[in-house]
This record gives sequence, structure tokens and C-alpha cells, in this order.
Amino acid sequence: MKKNLKKYTCLLTAAAMLTGAALTGCGSGGGSEEVVIYTNADDEAMEAMKHALDANGYEGQYLMQSFGTSELGGKLLAEGTNIEADLVTMSSFYLDSAQEQNSMFQDLTFDAPAMEEYPSFYTPITAQEGAIFVNTEMMAEHQLPMPTCLKDLTNPVYEGLVSVTDIQSSSTAWLLMQALVSAYGEDGAEEVLAGIYKNAGPHIESSGSAPLKKVRAGEVAIGFGLRHQAVADKADGLPIDYIDPMEGNFSLTESVAVVDKGDKSNPLAMEMAECIIKNGREELQQTYPLAIYEGETNDSENLSAYPMIFSEPLTVELLEAHQQISENARVLAEE
Amino acid sequence: MSRKKELEIKGIFVLVVLVFLIFLLVPLARLFLKSFVGDAGLTPDFYGEVLTGRGFLRAFGNSLVISSVSAVVTTLLAFILAYGVHYCNLPGRYKGFISRAAVAPMLLPTITYGFAIIYSFGKQGLITRLFGTQLFDIYGFNGLLLGYVIYTLPVSFLLLSNTMSYIDKKFSVVSRIMGDSPFATFVGTVLRPLLGTLAASFVQCFFLCFTDYGIPASVGGEYEVAATVLYNEMLGSVPNFSRGACVAMLMLIPSVVTIALLHYLEKYNIRYNKISQIEIRRGRIRDTVFGVLSAVILACILSVFAVIFVVPFVDEWPYRIQFTLEHVLGVFADNSLVTVCRNSLVVALLTAALGSLTTYGAALTTARSHLPGGVKQVIENISLITNTIPGMVIGIAYLLIFSGTPLQNTLFLLVICNVIHFFSTPYLMMKSSLTKMNASWETTAMLMGDTWLKTIVRVVTPNAMGTILEVFSYYFVNAMVTVSAVIFIAGARTMVITTKIKELQYYTKFNEVFVLSLLILAVNLAARGVFRGIAAGRQGAKRMVRRPAFRKQKA
Repeated sequence: MKKNLKKYTCLLTAAAMLTGAALTGCGSGGGSEEVVIYTNADDEAMEAMKHALDANGYEGQYLMQSFGTSELGGKLLAEGTNIEADLVTMSSFYLDSAQEQNSMFQDLTFDAPAMEEYPSFYTPITAQEGAIFVNTEMMAEHQLPMPTCLKDLTNPVYEGLVSVTDIQSSSTAWLLMQALVSAYGEDGAEEVLAGIYKNAGPHIESSGSAPLKKVRAGEVAIGFGLRHQAVADKADGLPIDYIDPMEGNFSLTESVAVVDKGDKSNPLAMEMAECIIKNGREELQQTYPLAIYEGETNDSENLSAYPMIFSEPLTVELLEAHQQISENARVLAEE
Repeated sequence: MSRKKELEIKGIFVLVVLVFLIFLLVPLARLFLKSFVGDAGLTPDFYGEVLTGRGFLRAFGNSLVISSVSAVVTTLLAFILAYGVHYCNLPGRYKGFISRAAVAPMLLPTITYGFAIIYSFGKQGLITRLFGTQLFDIYGFNGLLLGYVIYTLPVSFLLLSNTMSYIDKKFSVVSRIMGDSPFATFVGTVLRPLLGTLAASFVQCFFLCFTDYGIPASVGGEYEVAATVLYNEMLGSVPNFSRGACVAMLMLIPSVVTIALLHYLEKYNIRYNKISQIEIRRGRIRDTVFGVLSAVILACILSVFAVIFVVPFVDEWPYRIQFTLEHVLGVFADNSLVTVCRNSLVVALLTAALGSLTTYGAALTTARSHLPGGVKQVIENISLITNTIPGMVIGIAYLLIFSGTPLQNTLFLLVICNVIHFFSTPYLMMKSSLTKMNASWETTAMLMGDTWLKTIVRVVTPNAMGTILEVFSYYFVNAMVTVSAVIFIAGARTMVITTKIKELQYYTKFNEVFVLSLLILAVNLAARGVFRGIAAGRQGAKRMVRRPAFRKQKA
């Protein structure tokens, strides 16, 4: 009996020793000085930001951690200025809500001559567009006509073969909604959306990346989501093509903001924010081609066909109004 | 002397309750408050908004139905498997295989379940291709049922198998000799002692399904469930913690019913003086039936996961299926992998150690003490509540409570969160094993002059070692695969493998998700191997352990 008690104790001791190792491991890194960056950015954008920071002498002085949009949104709202991050890059309207609820960001202290006007506490790093994408093999297999606009997706030939995102759960769907409301007005948008929902059936997804996942997997033929992800898939040689809908390629910006930690604010955080904007945009534009700042051009080969900007500011209130249109459309689709 | 004994067990009770007070009830109370506090003070409005929201009640009803059906199906399947292992004359190796395969799904992160179903039974799925046609529509009720059954089978099997191993099978023999019909014997000596565990299994499975978000997100389709509503309110495109907290509170309602149910079934628990090792009667028909049924069940479940071993090693499933190691190499080229792996292992080992201690302490107070029933009920209720709270709710509640404290972003908080989150099943296993042991050991030992603690260490613990190791291993693998709560409370320096998986999923790098899932599977298999090794090593010592215990009893 002693023998197996010993074994059990051994396990416990081993566990305790491992923790010790891990804790000291963290401590010896001198971690407290590093600027912690939380981001919801995609891989490509993260790489571009890292390149900008590393090339300008900040290598090893920051720790970049990525999150999904909803998780990071939850953290911002729940933690406020207690958040571990010194610097955050995130979908702009989430930053608006977090600022409104927790007044947690500092005003930026550097100039960034954006073409549109943005609040004083953030400035965009990317503008991400929406587009339709298709699985070319499935289109051929089912002999489906290529859609040219969002309204085409209401065509009954696509029944069960379309996947879109639910605006209740993911802001990616807002890109679709903005296009519909712009082109058809609120009532028209509700009707078209109901038609799309009818065709989508079980493929109304909660995650922004899910439609592309289903198109890739051959579960559906057509999806709507972030344009740059479909561009990347096509370039990678997957049987995927993208279509810029005639209603327009609307966009959402992701922005950088510096958390206000009072005396504990790390001054390097503001410098890094500036560095990302000043030195990262060129590489960022390769993936997210839309020009944001004065002096930038829209000349990338990846440029979308119908870049459009929604006529109203993209506030949380507008998003809630658009969510209601979507809810109405779902009821309509079930009838 | 008896007063002293009470003191020790009271001490343990207070410790256990304190842990749950700080790390479960306070965060929950905070959420409860949140569900009533609006911009203009206290208000019941959020409940009104939630209850009148589109389809909320329907989603809630759907959740009740699908969770109940899944729980019944799972418990039935798990019973067949466990019966095959404990009551049939199947070859030893086959029994070993059943025991291992039945818990296999638990070793993989749940993120893979949805993928696995789509990549297996979807339009281009592996199994669809083998059969040449899609077997069933995977979105909605069917997909959810399949996903939930796979998800909960390990828990159900562990509970049933654990209890069966503490049932004295000689009672079946006696019953037969007394002339009972086979059916009466089955009911009296198998079903009846198992009733409490069968109910516990149902409840555990029910709440695992009821609170899971990942499976409905993948294959729920138009069958909306409460967990999806919770997610949309809590973490949707316009997060609203107040409304989210309302949904979370409403989701606690079913647990009230189950607390009553479990309390009622408590009286069916039966203690055995000792567990006899007996030859199981020959029964060729019985053995064939259960052997074949087990094989079919396991084949179905394992075939769903087959695709996981294919996807990471091909270029791009399903359209470019030439072999490649690109995804694997890509994952291992990431230099943050070492840190997250180390963090994961530390968290898993500590969770296992601390979790085993907590469950053991808790189970000792409920199963081997003379504390009043009401006091014991406190722990029973805690155990049930831990199982009825969705991970994301725990995660967000922890953010609200522990942000700004020294605990924020520490591995310790991750460990404690896991210990609480996964408490329920191991606690039931532990309690079940302690309850089935002879109740008079402590008294006998005390008469012999041993202290209570000595008896626990020298008699009870060695006899419960099999379950303790199972609990240790349960905590370990669950800490390795969990993500729902951890994603919120891990900091940049305390990230674990599953949060890495979440990142990759977010980048739409699904192949890499599978590579890391397989890595976790490998770690879990290795860990279980080690734990089993220890258990086997202990088998030899077991007889030496038992004897002094019984000698004392006789004396």
C-alpha cells in the first residue's frame, strides 16, 4: 500500500514541480515590460503588423495574442481597463461600445490622416469587404447559373445550397445587410433577405467563417463572407471563386486603440500603435486593398469591383436596427 | 472520539464549500445581479425582452427535447457497453477495447465533433462516399442527436462502468439459486443497484447537451436551441451581458427538477460488504448479443472520427486529397507551440491533482460521514449546478469577478475553473464508489484504535484507488480538451493548446485545427496509458491492501 501511495504522491509532486517550472519560466522572461497586444485580426493582418513592428525596432518588446471577434468583444466589455492588453486591434464598432460602457481607451497622440472621420481614440488598420463566393465544382455538378448580385441568391434553384451568416451572432453578416438596405431600402432588404434565408435553410451560420467552411467542404455551393478569405482560397488553388455583388462590396473597418491604464499605461503602446499605422498599411493593403488614409491608392490587383460605403455611420444602434430587419426576415422565411 | 471524527470531516466539508463559494457561487451571484441591473437600476425588463425574443421559448423547448432524447439514447448505449464489460464472458482483450473505445471521444476537443460529422456524413463526406449516398440529413435533430451521443457517451460509460465494478455480482448468483427468473434477477441485482447511477447518467448527459454550444453551431441547422440564444445574447454582434445572464439563469431551471429527482433516487443506493470476484456464468446467447451490439455501437462512433485521421494529412479535404505533411509541419513550425503545450500540461496535471482531492473530499463528506442530510445536500446541489452552467457563462462570470485581482490571467485561475467546471461527473464516480463500500470500516478501525484520517488513508483510499485514478485521468483529459470557459480567462502568457485551436479556427485554418486535435489526442492517450500503468501496478498490491482491512473487520 505504501508503494502505491508513493506513486500517487509522485504524481502530485511532479505536477507541483511542473507548475513551479512554468511559473518561473514566465517570470524570467521579464514579461511585465512587454506590450501586450490583443487582436481579432486575421493571420495576414497579424503578420503585417508584426513585420511593421519588428522592422522598426520593437522586436521582442511585444506579445501579440489573437482572439475571435466575439471572445475579444466579451473580454473588452467584461474587463474594461483591467484587461491585460495595452493595445487592441478590433472591429471598430466594438471599440465604440467598449468605450461607451467602460471609457477604457486613450485618445491617440499621433496624426493619421484618414479619408473618413473616426473617433479620437481609434484609427483603422484595415477595411474588410464582403463578397459572394462559390464552390466551382459544385456549381458545375449541379449546373447552377453564376449569381451576379445578392438578389440572385433568392432564386429557388439554389435551395439548400446557400450559406450566410446570422447578423445576431456575427458582424460579417452586416456587410450583406448594408448592401441589401442600400440597394433595396429597409422593406426591400427584408424581402430579399427572407428569400436568401429560405434558400439557406439549415446553413444560416453563427460564425463569420462558417459559410466559407461549408463552401470548401462541398456542403453548399454558394456563400457570403469576407472577400479576402475567398481571394486567398482561390489563389491557393481551391475550387473556389468569388463574385463581387452588384449591390456593392461594403466594408467594415478594424481599428487600433490604446487602453488607458492611468499611471500604469505603457508608453510603448502608443508608439507601437503609430508604428503599425505608419509602417504596416502597405503590406496590409495587399490583403485588404481598400485605401483608408490620404495618399493611399486603390490600385491593387485584388481590388473589388463595387466598393461602396454605407450612407450612415456604422453605429451599434444601426446594427441593432439591421438585426431587427434580419429577425423579421427570418419570420417571413418560415411562412 | 466520535466528536473528533466529526471535526475532521467537518473541516473537509468547510474547505470544499469555501472553494465553491468563492469560485462558483460568487461569480453566479454576480451574473444573477447582472440579469436585473440596467442603466436605470433594478429592472425585470431583460427577462421580458428575452422571453419575448423571436423563438426563445421554442428554442428552450427544443433544447429540453433533444437533450432528453440524447440522454436516454446515450445512457442506453453506455449501459449495453458497460454490461458487456462487467456481466458478460467476453474475451478480456475485447473488454479492454470496449472500455478504451467508449471513452475515446472524450480525448478529442469537441471542436472536432462538428467537423467530423460534416466531413463524414456530409454531401462530400468520407462515409457518404463509401456508401455512395448521404445516409441522413445531418442538419437539425439528427445531427444534434449524433453529435450529443458521441459527446456524452464517455461520461455515461464511465459512470455506469464505475458503479458496476462496485456491485457484488454474487448477488446475481444467489438470486438465480433462489429461483428468480432471469428477468427478475436482472432487475433485482443489476438494474436496481444501478438505478441511482442510471439517473445520474441521464442527468449528466442531459445537461452536457443542454449547455453545449459547439455541436449546434456546426450541425444544429434550423433546430434552434437555448445554448445558441445564450451565445447570441452574450457574445453576438451586439453583446448584452444582462440579457445573456437572463438566458443563463433560465437555463438553470431544469436543474431544480433534477435535484429533486436525484434526491428521491438516493434511497436506491446499496452498499456491499465486499465485492466478490466471481466467474461470470456462461451465456452464449447473451455474450454474442452484447458482443455484437458493442461492436456495432463502437464501430459507428469510431467511424465518425476516422476522417480526423485523414484530413490533416491530405492537401485539402474533400477536393485535393493527395498526401501531404504540409499542415503538420506548419503547425510544428510555430514557436509559440512549446509554450502553449507546456501550459496545457501544467494546467491538466494540476487540475487532475486538485480536482481529485476536491472530489475525494466532497465525496467523503457525502458518502462516509454522519453529517445531517441537509448538509450533504449542499454538496449534491453544488455538484449539479457545476454541470448546468455553460462554459462561456463561467468564463464571463470569472472575468467580471476576478479581473483586476492578482488571480487575473494566471494558470491557477484556469486550474480552479476546470476543477469547478468538471466537478460533477468525477464527484458522482467517487461518491458511487465510496457509497458502495462497507459502511462500517471507519467504526471498526476506530474500535481498533486508528484515527479517522488513518482509516481513510490506509483502508478507504486504497480501496477507492481505481476510481481515484479514473477521476484523475478524467480531469486531466477534460482540462486538455476544454475551451469554452478557458478562452476568456487565459491571458497572453497563459494560453493553452485549445485556445490555439480556437485561433486557427478563426483564421479558417481547419486542417491545422485537426493537427492540434490529434496532438491533444496523442497526449491524452499517453497520459491515460501512464495512469493505467499505475493502476495495474497497484493491482498486485491490492490483495495486500485488502487483507488488513478485513482482518480489522472480523476483529
